[in-house]
Amino acid sequence: MKTKLGLLFLGMGLVFTISCTKYPPSSDRLLEDLAVLTQYDTKVDFNLYKTYSISTPVMKVTDDGTVPMTGQTADAVLAQIDKNMKARGFVPAVAPQKPDLGIQVMYFQNTTVYTYYYDWWGYYPYYPYYYPVYYSSYTTGMANIELMDLKNAGTDNRAAVRWNAFIRGLLTDTHTTAEITGRVDQAFIQTPQLQTTKP
Amino acid sequence: MKKILLIFAVFVLLTSLVQGQDKPASSLGFTPRSYYTFSWNTTFTMGDFNKWVGNASPAGFDMGGRYFIKNGLAVGWNLSWQRVSQIYDNETYTIPDKGIAINAENYRFTWMIPFQVALAYHFIPEKMVSPYIGLGIGGDYMEHHLMIQEYDIYKTRWDFSLTPEVGALVKFGNFNQWGALVAFNYKWTTNQIELYETTSKNLQMLNLKVGIAMIIR
Repeated sequence: MKTKLGLLFLGMGLVFTISCTKYPPSSDRLLEDLAVLTQYDTKVDFNLYKTYSISTPVMKVTDDGTVPMTGQTADAVLAQIDKNMKARGFVPAVAPQKPDLGIQVMYFQNTTVYTYYYDWWGYYPYYPYYYPVYYSSYTTGMANIELMDLKNAGTDNRAAVRWNAFIRGLLTDTHTTAEITGRVDQAFIQTPQLQTTKP
Repeated sequence: MKKILLIFAVFVLLTSLVQGQDKPASSLGFTPRSYYTFSWNTTFTMGDFNKWVGNASPAGFDMGGRYFIKNGLAVGWNLSWQRVSQIYDNETYTIPDKGIAINAENYRFTWMIPFQVALAYHFIPEKMVSPYIGLGIGGDYMEHHLMIQEYDIYKTRWDFSLTPEVGALVKFGNFNQWGALVAFNYKWTTNQIELYETTSKNLQMLNLKVGIAMIIR
């Protein structure tokens, strides 16, 4: 009886020890999230800008170079930016009118390779220290929306960026076009300062 | 850390097998010389801590020992492991002076290792149901994590803690060496969380412990 109870106690102790994982379950789902980071120029009054122009196409920057990006998602992103700019009071510039703001969208795709060591509980005392190295990688995608100040661009054609938005996620191929355009909306939502009065 | 916990579990097991001499059963029940507990611990965060993680968390265990020194008065120790966690969807953090805003799903969790010396007074230690009041004094090691995508931002802190507790030791029979423990405590700590816009001080929580007890005569 005493042995059985002792084993029970030891078993519970082992369960306790094994369950002592620091990280909670389901934290992996964060990898499927699209995070939105925005930054605007706090010294700028956006009321001073009235018109805008969106440059096409979206440019895709990968480990191998830069190429134009076409397709439904790229078109949807540009359309959503256009919709949000209009909703904030900005008006599309009509050629040959020079726009106050220029919008450019770039998409970055990078693969990161990293090494790690297996987490050993210990090592065999009669063997030399040896920790096997494992390699893994992850691919990230990030859309960068830049709002450039063409109104005050210098003669050297360099324009200051007044607002930019990064939409970042690991490429898990699980994002729909609706989710991505929703993130474009979120970039505007979290920047209420980006608006003007209609001309 | 895993090694330490394993050694501790074995230590508790070994010490619990040491027996005192049996007393004659002149009355119904017996006053224990000591007892050891192993409990499942559910944590309910309070105050600022509740703003950090609002969920109650059943992810926790507690081990303890009590040694009777006079009548119903016992001293002892507790060592625990607890984790509280919660996922927050589409939460926006801002840094207004820099014009920065970040919106993301984030996972917040706090991992705790409390260790305390404890004082308990059992009102009727010889009875089958032995209610008690107690006070734990000690510290915690805590890690506060904010996870966004593959990034894990965290801070570690040690603290001082106080834990008043009420509970009952319930023997499975008048002369049974095994029993159950049910306890409820309030814990106040000097620990704090300072991650981005979140600042929480003097973290507080309630804990419900339900477990098994080995009682030494």
